Amino acid sequence: MPLAYAELENFYEGLVARARSRGIPCAITSGMACVAFGVAQATKDCDLLCAPDLAGEFLKLLQESSLGGQGPHYRGHLTAPLDSRWLRGGWTSHFMWKVPDLEAYLDVFGVAPRGSVPWESDVAGFYAGLHTVAEMKRTNRERDWPFTTALGVKLLEAGDPRGWLHLFNFEVLVQTAEKLRCPETMVTLRPALALLTGPDERLELALKGEVEFWNRLDQLRLKVYERAVRPYLLAVKADVRSRNPSLEVQHEVRLEHAESVLPTSPLCQYGIERLIAEAKDQAARFLPAGALEWLPDARGCFSFLAE
Amino acid sequence: MKDAQNKPEWLTDEVREHLRRVAYDFHVRAFGEEMARVNFLPLAERRRYVAEMMDHALRKGVKFDKPALGVTP
Repeated sequence: MPLAYAELENFYEGLVARARSRGIPCAITSGMACVAFGVAQATKDCDLLCAPDLAGEFLKLLQESSLGGQGPHYRGHLTAPLDSRWLRGGWTSHFMWKVPDLEAYLDVFGVAPRGSVPWESDVAGFYAGLHTVAEMKRTNRERDWPFTTALGVKLLEAGDPRGWLHLFNFEVLVQTAEKLRCPETMVTLRPALALLTGPDERLELALKGEVEFWNRLDQLRLKVYERAVRPYLLAVKADVRSRNPSLEVQHEVRLEHAESVLPTSPLCQYGIERLIAEAKDQAARFLPAGALEWLPDARGCFSFLAE
Repeated sequence: MKDAQNKPEWLTDEVREHLRRVAYDFHVRAFGEEMARVNFLPLAERRRYVAEMMDHALRKGVKFDKPALGVTP
């Protein structure tokens, strides 16, 4: 009998509860959080934010956590070791439990991609807060954008004006502004919101500009990590020890190779300002003139990455 | 999230009702009528629905795997 999805959810929530009981701040984010927040998404992977400084403690907890009688192991050769140095630099550690008829996946982050506030301060039950989840949904995947807008409305319904920062759908923005005034503090953070004050045709253009910009920014970000991981991938793949069934051995092998060839923070090495400038240049090629005049300052979305 | 005591002044019943309507219409446009209905169910029912949907999809061989790239979008 394969494990049911509900059992998986209970397993991951149990993992969070046990981690917290050991003093390890962590929270489920992405698809599973979206289901909890009322924006259902078909996902069976669990994305988890974990305090980078306690990565070692969390690894110990994983070693003790079996599912369907099976222990976890690292998934693939590309996955960075679960170690504070790489988690702080924006890497993800991937794990899986292989149980009959089902593979349970867990992706562990230390830093929420595009997170502008410490995720530890924005937690709701087992889950990362709406604001953090919404920022993480500004990806290069078109299907994620409706989730961002839906989470933005949820924030406003919860009395949090930061919801304005996540409304990327033109109709939703205009309809929301019919009954609600956008605070100046939000306009400062997201200049396109200034176009809501009157009927301004440039609003739709500005929204297209924002989405294209975030899309390009995420693509470029991923490319930086993909380039940085190649030597590590080859080293781990060539090492027979990486296929050892023991998570402890798998971790030691990954750590050994990471220490010699995997940069801890490739994005900071590359340069955040450079990344943002390139994303603007790329976006400009696909947009009408003026679409990028209302972009926010995206530097704050990288401020939790270690140098 | 704010609790009832910390509810800001601007979040009147009228605004909440308006936001709920805006949200529902958007969910219908973005996710379809069935998922919009699911999204507005109480949490326990919503989770049960998603669990049944996922179990059915997995039984039918649908793959939900994401590649493990060392970094996530």
